[in-house]
Amino acid sequence: MSPDTDRADPGKPGTSTDRDLHELAVKQAALGQVRGAAAVDPVNVPMIRHWLDAMGDTNPVYLDQGIAPPAMAQVWTMQGVRRAAGQHSPVDDVMSALDAVGFTGVVATNCEQVYHRYARLGERLTSAIRFDDLAGPKRTALGEGYFATWTITWHAESGEAVAEMMFRVLKFRPPPRAVPREPYPLRPAVNRDTAFFWDGVRQGELRVQSCADCGELRHPPGPICPHCRSANRAYRIAGGEGTVYSYVVHHHPPVPGREPPFVVAVVALPEGVRIVGGIVDCPPEAVGIGMAVVVTYRQMDDELVLPMWAPREP
Amino acid sequence: MRTLREDQVELGAVLPELSIELTPTVVVSTALATMDFTPVHHDVEGARAQGSADIFLNILTTMGLVERYVTDWTGPAAVIRRINVKLGVPAYSGDRLLFTGTVTSIASGEITVEVRGKVSLGDHATGTVALVLPARR
Amino acid sequence: MLRARAAIAGIGATDFSKDSGRSELRLAAEAVFAALDDAGLAPSEVDGMVTYTQDANQEIAVAREVGIGELSFFSRVEYGGGAACGTVAHAAMAVATGMADTVVCYRAFNERSGRRFGQPDARLGGQPSSQGLEMSWHVPYGLMTPAAWVAMFAQRYMHVYGATSEDFGRVAVAMRRHAATNPAAWFHGRPITLAEHQASRWIAEPLRLLDCCQESDGAVALVVTSAERARDLRRSAAVITAAAQGAGAGQMMMTSYYRDDMAGLPEMSVVGRRLWEMSGLTPADIQTAILYDHFTPFVLTQLEELGFCGRGEAAGYLQDGGIELDGRLPVNPHGGQLGEAYIHGMNGIAEAVRQIRGTSVNQVVGVANVLVTAGTGVPTSGLILSAP
Repeated sequence: MSPDTDRADPGKPGTSTDRDLHELAVKQAALGQVRGAAAVDPVNVPMIRHWLDAMGDTNPVYLDQGIAPPAMAQVWTMQGVRRAAGQHSPVDDVMSALDAVGFTGVVATNCEQVYHRYARLGERLTSAIRFDDLAGPKRTALGEGYFATWTITWHAESGEAVAEMMFRVLKFRPPPRAVPREPYPLRPAVNRDTAFFWDGVRQGELRVQSCADCGELRHPPGPICPHCRSANRAYRIAGGEGTVYSYVVHHHPPVPGREPPFVVAVVALPEGVRIVGGIVDCPPEAVGIGMAVVVTYRQMDDELVLPMWAPREP
Repeated sequence: MRTLREDQVELGAVLPELSIELTPTVVVSTALATMDFTPVHHDVEGARAQGSADIFLNILTTMGLVERYVTDWTGPAAVIRRINVKLGVPAYSGDRLLFTGTVTSIASGEITVEVRGKVSLGDHATGTVALVLPARR
Repeated sequence: MLRARAAIAGIGATDFSKDSGRSELRLAAEAVFAALDDAGLAPSEVDGMVTYTQDANQEIAVAREVGIGELSFFSRVEYGGGAACGTVAHAAMAVATGMADTVVCYRAFNERSGRRFGQPDARLGGQPSSQGLEMSWHVPYGLMTPAAWVAMFAQRYMHVYGATSEDFGRVAVAMRRHAATNPAAWFHGRPITLAEHQASRWIAEPLRLLDCCQESDGAVALVVTSAERARDLRRSAAVITAAAQGAGAGQMMMTSYYRDDMAGLPEMSVVGRRLWEMSGLTPADIQTAILYDHFTPFVLTQLEELGFCGRGEAAGYLQDGGIELDGRLPVNPHGGQLGEAYIHGMNGIAEAVRQIRGTSVNQVVGVANVLVTAGTGVPTSGLILSAP
C-alpha cells in the first residue's frame, strides 16, 4: 500500500499541502540573499589548468591574463568530497518540504549565468543564495511537479558581484514504478488440469472444481470426475470463508521465500472440500483448530498470486 | 592565434560543429575538475542504482563545454557576458555530444550565438551565449 | 498364498554414520557382501535384486560390483521409506512364484552427507508430473519438509484424541533408551529423558527436534530365498509369514489431508488387515514390533491401525514404558530410526531377523513373531517374520 493513500493529494492546486508549500516559498524568498562561506581556495592556476584540460579548452587567454574561465564561477565555492555542507540555505527548506510530500524526483531545467567580469587570480569568492520562486503544481512529462528557482551570486572580497546564476529545477513526484520483484522461489507446477485454479487466484477467485455432469466438488482438482467418470469439468467460486482443520507452525529448517515461524493450515471450506494455505495477519500462537478464516490473495512476485487465510471477525 | 573581431561576424553565421566523445574519462575528469563528486557522475553502479543508464555529464561541465564551443570559434579575445542554457536529456557516458551554433543577433556590440548540444537521446542543452568581440582595429 | 514360502536368510549392513566417506554404490556393495556372507551364499547364487525407486544404485551396478552374474528378476518399490518391507514382499513373491531363487534386497545412501530428505527442495513443485502437481498444493506455502507434513497430521491427532507432546516424547525416550545399549546405534550410550524431549526446540509445531529421526549414511541388505532352502544355510532364517503393501483411498505422498479425519493412517490399516489375514495371527501373537519411526506421532497411529490398541488409545498404551524393552510390546529394540540409524526402514527389518534368531543386543525373550512396518504417511508395506 502506498504511504500516500491516506493523505490529501499534495499535487492538487489549492489543497492545504499546496498552500503550505507556497507559503514556505514566499517565506524563504523574503529572506533575500543569504550569504554562504567563502571559497576554500582563491582563484588559482592549478584548478584553472585542471579545468581547461578536462574540458579540452585550449583558449590561452585565461592563463596568459591571470583570469578564470567565467563558467568556472560555481567551481570556486563547490563543496568537496568530505567538506561539510555550507551554511543552511533558504533553498534547503523548500526542497525538504517537497521531498516530504512525495516530490522526490529532481531534474535541473535551466541554468543562466551572467558574468559581470572575469574573476582574477588570488580573489577569494563568496556565494550568496536567494530563493526566487516556486511555481506549480504542473503536469510534466516526468510527472506532477513544482519548478523551484533560485539565484546564486558570487562576490569578490570587496563585495562586488562578479557573476550570478539563475538555477531552476523541477521537483516531481516519480510515477509509481513497477519495481520488478525477486521471483518467489516456491512455484506451483501448473498443467491443463489445474490452470483454472491459478487463473482464478489471479482474479481474486477461489475456484473449486466441480463436475459439469454430476456436480461433485473436488479439491485438489483432477482431469476426471472420480464419481461419474466425466471429463466435463467446471468450477464453483467458493465463498472465501473457511475453518482451520489442522495447522503447523514451521520453525526449521529455513524455507526459501518464507520467514519462520510461519503457519500453514488445512482449511475446511463450507462448500465441503479442504484446501491448504498459509495463515497470515495472525501471530502463530493465536492460530487454533476451529479458527474462522477468510481467504486473502497475496501477490508473491510479478506473476504468482497465492490464496492465503486471515482470521475472520466473528 | 586567430581571433575574431566584431566586424568579421555576420548575422546567421554558422559555427563549426564540435563533436565530443563522452568517454568515461571525459565524464569523470570533467566532474572532478568542476569539484562535483556526486556519484552519478563517476560511479556506474551508483548511477544505475538511481535508475540512470550510466554515469552522465554534470551541469557545470555542460556550461563549461558550451563556453569552450563558442570560444573555440571566437578565439581568445572574446569576452563572455552570459550563458543561458535549457537542460534536456542526460549526456551519458558512451554517447557523443554534438554542438552546433548560429549567430542570431548582433546588437549594441553584443553578439548572441544560439547553441545546441545534441546527444543520441535528443537535445542535451539548448541556449544562447552572449559575448563581446573586439571592434575593428 | 505367500505365507511362509520364503525366508530372510541373511542380513548385512555397513556402519551407520553421518559421513560415510564412501560412494553410495560402495555402501550398497559392502552391505550385500555382508548379507551374502551371513547367509553363507556366494554372489553367483543370486538371481534377483530389489531396491527402492529412490535408491541411486541400479541393480545391475550393484550386481557388477559384488560379482552377481545373471539376473532373472529385478524390481523397484515406490514411495520413499514405504518401500522397505515392500522389497522383501517383492522378493518373496519372486521366490514363491519361481521368478528367482535367491533375491537380494538393499538400500544404500549418504542421506546425511549427501542429499538430505529433511531439507526443503524448491524443485518439489516444479514439474507437472502427478507428484509435482500434488506437491504444488502445498510447497508454495512453505509446507515442504517431511517434519511439517507429518506435523499437520499430528496436530489433528492431538486435537481429536487429546494426545500431548509428552505422549510423542515417550516414543522418543523409548527409542533412545533402546539405542543406548546398542553399539551399532548412532545414539549408543546417549539416552534422553522426557524433560529433555520437552526442552528440545520446535521444528514444525507440534513436532520438536527430538520427535524427528536422525539422518544417516549407511546401507542394509537382506537375502531372501525359499523357506525350504533357508533351512540348509549357514544361519537360522526368519520365515516371511506375511508380507503386504498398502495404499489408502485418496492417498497422497505425505499430504493426504483431503480424506477422512486425518487422525489415522488408512494405508497402514490396509497393511495390518492383510498381515493378520495372511498370517492367521493376532496382535497378541507378536512379541516385538518394528514400527517405522521417522517421526514419533505416527508410532501412536500405527499401534492403533495395527490393532495393538483401540483408536485414540495409543497414548495410554505408551504410558509407563509400554513400548520399552520390558513393556507390554517392546517396539524397535534396536532403537529405531530415532536411535539407531535412518536407513529408510531397512535396518528395522534386519533387527527383526536378529530378534527371530535370538541374537539381538536387546533381545526380547521368547520371540516367535515380529511385525515390521515401513514408511508412514506414504503408501507403505509390512511384514510378519517368524521363527522357523
